[in-house]
Amino acid sequence: MNQKYQIHPVLKVIFTFSLVILLSFSHNFAFVMTILVYTLFSLSLMKGNQILAILKISLWVSLFTFIILLPSNKYSSVMITVKVFTTVTTINMLPHSTKWSSITGAFKFFNIPDIFILVLDIAIKYIVMLGNHALQLIWALKLRSIGKNRDKYQSLSGIAGNLFIKSVEMSKEMYSAMECRGFNGKYITLEKKRLSMVDLLYMLIHIGIVILFFYIGKIVE
Amino acid sequence: MIEINDVSYSYLGIRALSHISIKIEAGEAVAIMGPNGSGKSTLLKLINGLIFPDTGCYRFQGQEITENQLQDPIFAKKFHQKIGFVFQNSDTQLFCADVYDEIAFGPRQMGLSESEIGKRVNDLLELMQLDAFHHRSPYHLSGGEKRKVAIACVLSMNPEVLVLDEPINELDPRTQRWLVDFLIRLNKSGKTLITSTHNLELVPEISTRSILFDENHGILADMQTQKMLLNTDLLIKANLVDEYYHIHDGEDHVHFHDHIF
Repeated sequence: MNQKYQIHPVLKVIFTFSLVILLSFSHNFAFVMTILVYTLFSLSLMKGNQILAILKISLWVSLFTFIILLPSNKYSSVMITVKVFTTVTTINMLPHSTKWSSITGAFKFFNIPDIFILVLDIAIKYIVMLGNHALQLIWALKLRSIGKNRDKYQSLSGIAGNLFIKSVEMSKEMYSAMECRGFNGKYITLEKKRLSMVDLLYMLIHIGIVILFFYIGKIVE
Repeated sequence: MIEINDVSYSYLGIRALSHISIKIEAGEAVAIMGPNGSGKSTLLKLINGLIFPDTGCYRFQGQEITENQLQDPIFAKKFHQKIGFVFQNSDTQLFCADVYDEIAFGPRQMGLSESEIGKRVNDLLELMQLDAFHHRSPYHLSGGEKRKVAIACVLSMNPEVLVLDEPINELDPRTQRWLVDFLIRLNKSGKTLITSTHNLELVPEISTRSILFDENHGILADMQTQKMLLNTDLLIKANLVDEYYHIHDGEDHVHFHDHIF
């Protein structure tokens, strides 16, 4: 098994979401900076190409947030930008370090309804393909728009309609493909796996983060 | 093994299959041919239990396949494990984050252990020459590679019957050749092959028997592939060959062209 799948997926899902919630509730800059340092340290343990892919998205989103928040006061703009960067990086690290089947398995562990997991699953799996399809439709429109095309907006609404129909067809066909491979609408739970020393260390670090959140909150009060 | 008796099926009021009766024995290699929109893909969906006949009945290994039957998860899993379906559009069949997960999806649904799944997936990656794509996202593969992964996904469940909808479409000649050779080997190993195709050149290689659909969604002929391909009148009737205008030795003329053998 690849090293990147060492930590138990259930623990990863629990602590990734708890980290995001704590970050969004925190008003303390020291806590936010601590999480940022921890996130960057965790990121540095990943492969080079994964680090680049994650940072590319995080930096773009943070830059955009910072520009939008520039007119507000300096403290808020820096605080929110750091929070956004840390949240996006943390969330992005999850799929890069955990198989999608393990993530859905972890959802199942929390008794999340199958229909919710299925909708999320299909939406995530098809977002790239729908994007590609939309791009091709826009290219086709561009190639046929010789000179000035006054009806461009009308055509764009046609593209949106076409995309919607296509997405329905594709999701139906994909569900059929899943059925053909034995899927019956019920997600399977993960194989029972014993917690390793790495898992325990990971748990301890994250419990420490939770304690730190409340401790710092108390100091501020 | 597969028995379809007087089956008709309509989709949104439009007739897709009209009084179809077919019997396919285990180990056969059957080609389904016919013009566009004649009902080939619908028949394959019916064989795979994705749609159900309006009238008539479909039996697999003696058991009638109905919507109610397939509501039973244990029966559905057993049935889908025995029949594998390779879709015309590989993109819709590939929905996992990486090639490993994609091939492992079926065995996971069957409840196999991760170590058994790993062994099956690695064997298939080697067999399909996909070792290098282990952790690649299926979206980033070429058309031929996607088709190979789609076939590997189905084979990972070790089905008795392999149903392929236009498997050779959009493949380059080398991948076409590889796929045809692979299908021949699968059939020789005892798998039943049901392939829908338009490609008359490859039909005699991947099938010994052909079922020809007409534009009225019925069966026009069901006979040995070699015999069918020599029957030009039949092929013209099914829109599979057409008048072809071209020049030979400076003289232009028109004739029916099939270029089969």
